[in-house]
Amino acid sequence: MNKFMEFLENILLPIADKLNNNRYLTALRDGFMVALPFIIFGSIFVVLANLPFLDRLIGEEAFATYQNALAPASESTLSLMGLFVIVGIGYKLTQRYGLEAIYGGTVAIASFLILTPQVLEGVAGAIPAVSLGAEGMFLGIVTAFVSAELYRFFTQKNWTIKMPAGVPDQVSKSFSALIPVALTLSIFLVLRIVFSFTPFDTIQNFIYTLIQEPLTALGSGLPATIIAVLLIQVFWFFGLHGQIIINSVFDPIWYALNNENLQAFQAGQEIPNVVTKQFIDTFLVGMGGTGMTLAVIILILIIGRSRQMKELGKLGAPASIFNVNEPIIFGLPIVMNPLSLIPWILAPVVVTIITYFAMSTGIVPKPAGIIVPWTTPPLLSGFLATGNAWQGAVLQAFNLVVVMIIWWPFLKIIDKSYYENEKKSSN
Amino acid sequence: MKKILLACSAGMSTSLLVKKMEEAAEAKGIEVTIWAVAQDKAPTEMEKADVLLIGPQMRFMKKKYTPVAEEVGIPLDVIDPMTYGRVDGEAVLNQALELIEK
Repeated sequence: MNKFMEFLENILLPIADKLNNNRYLTALRDGFMVALPFIIFGSIFVVLANLPFLDRLIGEEAFATYQNALAPASESTLSLMGLFVIVGIGYKLTQRYGLEAIYGGTVAIASFLILTPQVLEGVAGAIPAVSLGAEGMFLGIVTAFVSAELYRFFTQKNWTIKMPAGVPDQVSKSFSALIPVALTLSIFLVLRIVFSFTPFDTIQNFIYTLIQEPLTALGSGLPATIIAVLLIQVFWFFGLHGQIIINSVFDPIWYALNNENLQAFQAGQEIPNVVTKQFIDTFLVGMGGTGMTLAVIILILIIGRSRQMKELGKLGAPASIFNVNEPIIFGLPIVMNPLSLIPWILAPVVVTIITYFAMSTGIVPKPAGIIVPWTTPPLLSGFLATGNAWQGAVLQAFNLVVVMIIWWPFLKIIDKSYYENEKKSSN
Repeated sequence: MKKILLACSAGMSTSLLVKKMEEAAEAKGIEVTIWAVAQDKAPTEMEKADVLLIGPQMRFMKKKYTPVAEEVGIPLDVIDPMTYGRVDGEAVLNQALELIEK
């Protein structure tokens, strides 16, 4: 068993290393981090704009006025999430190359806007908001990578305008960016013109139809979600941070799905997707941390007899309420522990399936596209993520019980062995 | 004054350790500054630190941090998983102090 574990770890560690240190995936992850404060600001206002029972309390007309007043908060941030991610990626990637990062960010946004449709229902000079949000996400990410690379290429070619000595630094910097920026943007303009002669009309349409739609369709399905969840659990079983490795690949898909839901939710239409960023963050991670370990802690507090378990329960409980669970993962331990392998892998898959069917059958509302920070305590997070629906909280409570049942026999065995060891050593 | 930097994915779980380590240092009568950061902040924060300790779940970051640490001239290591799980402030503090001594 030990040999086998070692063998597996020797495979996983390099994968984790590669994925986590890949410059594009790092820039992508950091780019989402840049967008996060804006995403959460917008999410808070979606929650506030949809407070339950408020329409009955103040009347429908006043409620509509109230919603309209709050709407710009989320429509300028959460709905246009793509913009902030693009700036973040362009900035971070350029920063990594040791170049003037702000130009990397701005050249990325300008390149993206050049590729974006600028006609809305026949009216010129209007950029459809949806192109800057959900539908533009993939194009935006690719554009940010390519534009930052082009900017770097042209800058390092040194085709810059040299200023004579004595010109203030800021002035010469702004000129030194001129040629790389102009060349990069010209390439994107040519690209736009080329695509206008194709049946796709815009490259946005091309990427959306050929890449984003199929990928998100795949990513929103149950099989792909179970695979992602399994990979996260396996990485963590070897003590490696699963999300930081897997999410950098899945986040673009999960966020795009998320924003499709947000659009539908705000328009009062039927919400399309079950699996979104929030499906993972609220209904799997947001239950005490990866592997829904709040259930494990509760179980420890109920059935734990050994001193080691009791102490772990006390130590782990406060952090676990906010979904930080390293004490449990490394302390129980779950890592490399053959006894915890089965419930560790099984429980999240079962919960994924339960949650998926509860939402696709309509028993529980689908995630409303609101980004709830992963540190939000369970029950509250389920309520918020489903657009202020109590069913979301009930589903989380139900899932906690399911996880407890799955863990019960295994935890009992672990506890018993600790208990007997403690008895032996005290004799 | 020993300056100890901890890094994990979001700086959340290592911040649990900070308090325990501070308590252990106080009991020993050692003056320390200990702070926890998210993994992307670690390279820039290293300049202010005497030692960097990495959460075991991020141990694959050691390779990336090593050249930066060498440049700044500070030692770094991964925290032992078991002491990390027990949030054993004293053991991690000792690990940090040993690394600084070396």
